[in-house]
Amino acid sequence: MPVLRINNKSVHIQELNQNAPETVVLVHGMFSNLSVYYFNIAPILATHFHVVLYDLKSHGMSEKTLSGYDLESMTNDLKCLIDALDLKQVYLGGYSFGGLIALKMAIRFPNLVKKLAVIEAPDPSDEKARGIIEEYSREFLEHYVENFTDTTKVKMGKRQMEKNHRMYEYLFHQTSIKEDMILEKDFFEDGAINQLDQDVLLLYGLTSNCLDAGKNLNQKIKNSSIQIVDGDHNIPIQEPQLIGEALLNFFQQK
Amino acid sequence: MDTITTTKLSSEEIFNLMKKFITEVIGEEFVEEMDITPESSFTKDLEMDSIEIVSFSEKIKAHFGDQIDFTGWLSSMDLDQLINLNLGMIISYIEECQS
Repeated sequence: MPVLRINNKSVHIQELNQNAPETVVLVHGMFSNLSVYYFNIAPILATHFHVVLYDLKSHGMSEKTLSGYDLESMTNDLKCLIDALDLKQVYLGGYSFGGLIALKMAIRFPNLVKKLAVIEAPDPSDEKARGIIEEYSREFLEHYVENFTDTTKVKMGKRQMEKNHRMYEYLFHQTSIKEDMILEKDFFEDGAINQLDQDVLLLYGLTSNCLDAGKNLNQKIKNSSIQIVDGDHNIPIQEPQLIGEALLNFFQQK
Repeated sequence: MDTITTTKLSSEEIFNLMKKFITEVIGEEFVEEMDITPESSFTKDLEMDSIEIVSFSEKIKAHFGDQIDFTGWLSSMDLDQLINLNLGMIISYIEECQS
């Protein structure tokens, strides 16, 4: 398993088409892992680009960490990872919470991010989005899995249920993720987003709870365009081919 | 570290190798409770999630090298095909690549 030491922690990464001259880095969402891109979206991008995927701290196969889930810390990790791979400039994409990390990255390190793609990033001031963390319980997971089953057609078995339950328990009850998220509630309103200079592609699902957040970002960012795709918050799983091609076209356009 | 294999394996040898990889990915304690056969499906019977399949793919890559593009093969499948993927299909695919 390819692992880098980032800020003293082990981070699981995957790279495709390492010899390509330009690089795309993709950031996954909360409670997910790099596999959301690995099988469909990343191979499409790898037809032209070097693609780097990594598991966020305490997610996938990266090392567990008790604190540092705020966007400043998450982007410190990503900056270290980009430096460790000796990349000077990248195309950056992020899904859901990963979309917020990608936005923060473009704000903090504008010269490092050539173009930015934001998929289904939620507005952190939205109580409902943050409420998921507050309301977590075993029942929540079971309910979530029932809904999840509708869109992915995979029924989670006992071992997976236990594995996911352990991850949620750890993140919700042992780490600082809740407090760190609350600190980010004004992220869309603090003015920095309005100053973004890069070309930004916003990809949102037509029936997603986050669509208003996408429209809001589209108004704030001067060089942005929004593409609305059939589906809900899970568009990378529902429409991987379409998302992969939209990212490829956007990153390739001069 | 696995060394890349270039000798042709029989289907039984491939099956045993796949079982070894699955055990390494999901852990011996879970595999002991399972009856792994060529009919075992990855998602339903083995309950492997996608990050575990990433690990499994990586082991195949480390073992066979460029001889087998397992990830490429998986990425050509739609969701229903992935859900129905079983060990026998992987064995056939590896056998085809070896011939």
